[in-house]
Amino acid sequence: MKKIMSWLMLVVTLSVALLGGFAQPSHAATTGTEDSLARVKAKGTLVMGTSPDYPPYEFLVNRGGKERVVGMDVDIAKKIAKDLGVKLVIKQMDFDSLLVALETNKVDMVISGMSPTPARKKSVDFSKVYYKGGQSIIINKADKGLYKDKDSFENKSLGAQTGSIQYNLGKKQIKGSKMKGLAKISDLILALKSHKAEGVIMETPSAQAYVDNDPDLAMINGKFDLGSGENDTAIGFKKGSTSLVNAVNKSVDEITQKKLTKTYLKDAGTYMKTNTHNTSMWHYSGYFLKGVEYTLLITIISVFFGILLGILFALMRLSKMKLVHALGVVYIEFVRGTPLMIQVMFVYFGIGLFINIPALIAGIIAVSLNSAAYVAEIIRGGINSVAKGQTEAARSLGLSQRQTFQSVVFPQALKNIWPALGNEFVSLIKESSIVSIIGVTDLIYQLKAVQTATYKGVIPIVVAMIIYFILTFSLSKVLNHYERKMKHDA
Amino acid sequence: MPEEMIAIENINKKFGDTEVLKDLNGKVEKGQVICVIGPSGGGKSTFLRCLNMLEQPTSGKIMFENSDLTSLNESQINQLREKMGMVFQSFNLFSNMTVVENVKLAPIKVKKMSNDDAQKLALKLLAQVGLAEKADDYPASLSGGQQQRVAIARALAMNPDVMLFDEPTSALDPEMVGEVLKVMQDLANEGMTMVVVTHEMGFAKNVADEVWFMDGGVFAEKGTPDQIFEHPQNERTQDFLAKILEA
Ligand SMILES: Nc1ncnc2c1ncn2[C@@H]1O[C@H](COP(=O)(O)OP(=O)(O)O)[C@@H](O)[C@H]1O
Ligand SMILES: [Mg+2]
Repeated sequence: MKKIMSWLMLVVTLSVALLGGFAQPSHAATTGTEDSLARVKAKGTLVMGTSPDYPPYEFLVNRGGKERVVGMDVDIAKKIAKDLGVKLVIKQMDFDSLLVALETNKVDMVISGMSPTPARKKSVDFSKVYYKGGQSIIINKADKGLYKDKDSFENKSLGAQTGSIQYNLGKKQIKGSKMKGLAKISDLILALKSHKAEGVIMETPSAQAYVDNDPDLAMINGKFDLGSGENDTAIGFKKGSTSLVNAVNKSVDEITQKKLTKTYLKDAGTYMKTNTHNTSMWHYSGYFLKGVEYTLLITIISVFFGILLGILFALMRLSKMKLVHALGVVYIEFVRGTPLMIQVMFVYFGIGLFINIPALIAGIIAVSLNSAAYVAEIIRGGINSVAKGQTEAARSLGLSQRQTFQSVVFPQALKNIWPALGNEFVSLIKESSIVSIIGVTDLIYQLKAVQTATYKGVIPIVVAMIIYFILTFSLSKVLNHYERKMKHDA
Repeated sequence: MPEEMIAIENINKKFGDTEVLKDLNGKVEKGQVICVIGPSGGGKSTFLRCLNMLEQPTSGKIMFENSDLTSLNESQINQLREKMGMVFQSFNLFSNMTVVENVKLAPIKVKKMSNDDAQKLALKLLAQVGLAEKADDYPASLSGGQQQRVAIARALAMNPDVMLFDEPTSALDPEMVGEVLKVMQDLANEGMTMVVVTHEMGFAKNVADEVWFMDGGVFAEKGTPDQIFEHPQNERTQDFLAKILEA
């Protein structure tokens, strides 16, 4: 998995750089002595960032319903932590987010099958290379006679992870190739099986893992011309972490000398076998349940704060005070004018520069703030829909503006907007799924975890789809019930 | 010696560049019933709404019980509004509340009356307008005439010193006009001070102490019902009455 920075990362890096312009993170090594190693030792933990969807490097296993990150990279990290005398902490997130996490001190190092490419070296320090893989192409077993190496794919369509080195290799070294980019390996395999792509370019150990676990797949040697770095795997650190890199290099040297990666890969193989031993969805119900729990948690808390803040922003926008009104307008329009995905990353990485917020909290904050803007517009519409005479009657009786709002306008507005608010809640259940990109283990995240663990692409999707439907459908029913009740009351 | 309740002094009102009220003057004494008549668009509603500051006059003074309303702040205005009940053409009952809740709301919220006391008061007033049995219904299920009577009870619940009516019967089916006028006549008989914008000439003739004829943002003519209806001096008054009586 050797991705180059994706557009997403670019945006976040930019905003982070912008924020950095206002204030330097307090614990960044800026001048003088470099204390990266000392800091890790002082806090007693080594935080590893990884994207566990890439067996045998890193992937999830199901241990009595609980998931664990395992693989060669995890074994390496454990050894490093042991050598440093600190505890290893593993943080999961999308591959896209790993480098930003380094930059914003969310993690101390990234071990995620990452290649030390020249482009990456500009923004990240790397350890010595701990593993050299090759590039292979996975094909459908039925097509085995048709393809020999990369040159057999001239003018054919090929899959690779978006923005990855494999993607670039395919594009540059295969004449007339039509490259299909997808974010997840599991999705690429699905594309291969449905002949949306004739082959998927992948690193050899990963390709091996998939072929071993899926009787319908076969692999061939890609025979690509591989330049420096593109074949290698190393550990990434924040730029300027010299002391930490040096310390880790000692462990890497030992791993190379003793050829420990062989043992690690064998262990990984064993895990993968136990993983595929029982691939029934029922066996993974714990995964899905945890996903539902987080999805509901995020949705419920976000609905609550979304409404509170939504009322606030609606009132601001309706305010006669020019500045307050302008602030309300700017907030609402800005939030509605930018994708939730970027807001989630901005809160986690951008705001995270100043205060360290856990991914779950960051996700909740982002979704709440986003929902608030939409709720504000719904509420504003509701308030405007209340006849002016209602306000005048209340004011003529001596009620203050506030009392009028509380007793007369708001209850009527709420009744008018109940269906629209209900829709917003229902769609929040679905849209909150975007928090999976920062590693919050919601339903979508768990779906992908199950896909990776079981080497099954479609069935987990169907399960998640049914769960989402049950959630949204029952919520709609409940809301309809209250809508009818309100109608009946008045 | 009659006691002065409201004094209108040189009131002007502009909406943007259009001058809707032009240098109005007038006095309302305690216990008096003033009927304001005149063609539509003449400024009657705007005038009435200026009296309780639902519209802010552009210039001039409105003296009410020795304070100048135009110089008061928000909370002082709220306090004086308690003493001026208002009844609207379109009833404006709170649609999210039952009839009795409509009447109780202001006594509880503004006068901090206990719920029990407010309930007793509300039921008494609803009985007074003949609607005690509708207490727990929602406004939407009432006829226009019933809604307007509830609106009157709601205004009376604050025990106001003066009642302002803006064409209270114009939105009603003809057969319901009488029940509302009856309630208003009873109020007048009890000595309530009232300013009534109306097209009901019969009511003005029988109940009003003074009739103010308004046209083009000015009081073109003021006088007793007898003077205005039997011996109008102003040409515009004569035209207006001629048209009304034709119809
Ligand atoms: N809020 C407002 N904004 C602008 N013009 C208004 C407003 N309210 C009333 N007017 C205008 O003021 C004039 C007087 O209206 P109004 O007081 O309602 O008259 P009346 O009650 O005698 O029919 C009309 O020309 C009307 O269009
Ligand atoms: Mg009018």
